[in-house]
Amino acid sequence: MSRLSRWLAPSTVVRAHCDLPCGVYDPEQARIEAESCYKIIEKMGANSDAAFTTRAIHIKEERADLVKHHLDVLWHDYFKPEHLDKVPNLHELFWNATKQVSKVKASTDIADAKKLLEQIDEIDAAWKATGGNEKTRVAGRPG
Amino acid sequence: MSPAIEAGDWLLVDPTVARWPRRGSVVVFREPDTDELAIKRVAAGPGDRVPYADGFLILGADEAWLLSDAPDAALLAAGHGQPVDSRRYGPVPVELLVARAWFRYAPLRRLGTLRSSRRRNAAGPP
Repeated sequence: MSRLSRWLAPSTVVRAHCDLPCGVYDPEQARIEAESCYKIIEKMGANSDAAFTTRAIHIKEERADLVKHHLDVLWHDYFKPEHLDKVPNLHELFWNATKQVSKVKASTDIADAKKLLEQIDEIDAAWKATGGNEKTRVAGRPG
Repeated sequence: MSPAIEAGDWLLVDPTVARWPRRGSVVVFREPDTDELAIKRVAAGPGDRVPYADGFLILGADEAWLLSDAPDAALLAAGHGQPVDSRRYGPVPVELLVARAWFRYAPLRRLGTLRSSRRRNAAGPP
């Protein structure tokens, strides 16, 4: 850079930035947190200790919130309008699954947690049908 | 802020501004939450109504609604996500205003004053 350029160069940098998504979107994140809910309900059925129950409820609610967060990220950031051609009921899948998360958050019925897992599996199938597996996973992950 | 401002543009700014300049102006300000210096366009000023969610917001007496110019399709094509602007952090109070950007002096092929606004509906979509 010449002396003139150095003299003229701005002294301050300002930004006009955007989100920079990492581009990794995977229903497995939601599935693992939903499995936590499932297992916690299972353990609650086998343990009547009050302190254990209190902690279990607290942790289950935290995990349920994480499920909802991961589903929302998939819905809003990964899926695009053009994916509706391949998965016409996409919005219904997410609507039902996120509603089910709310149910699991408040429920101690393992059937509710099982239903949520099945709904996440349907979303996983939609994700695979739109090429999510190839597009967003880093190659080389152990099976 | 593309196409009005591209990365690497050298700009002259007026740091004497004490109030939000008129709608369509390009301003430098401290980003709420991060305190980072940022540049956006004034889409709406104090007292204006801004479309938001299914309704609208009414800006306070010292607040502006600052938006990026970049269209969503261009951001998507460039591999970026949503612009970080008032749609993210809400109205910006005037104490975070630093300057009004008014002239580009480099690169020379893009020399000139910054156009006041490229939006007819400056407040943009919610």
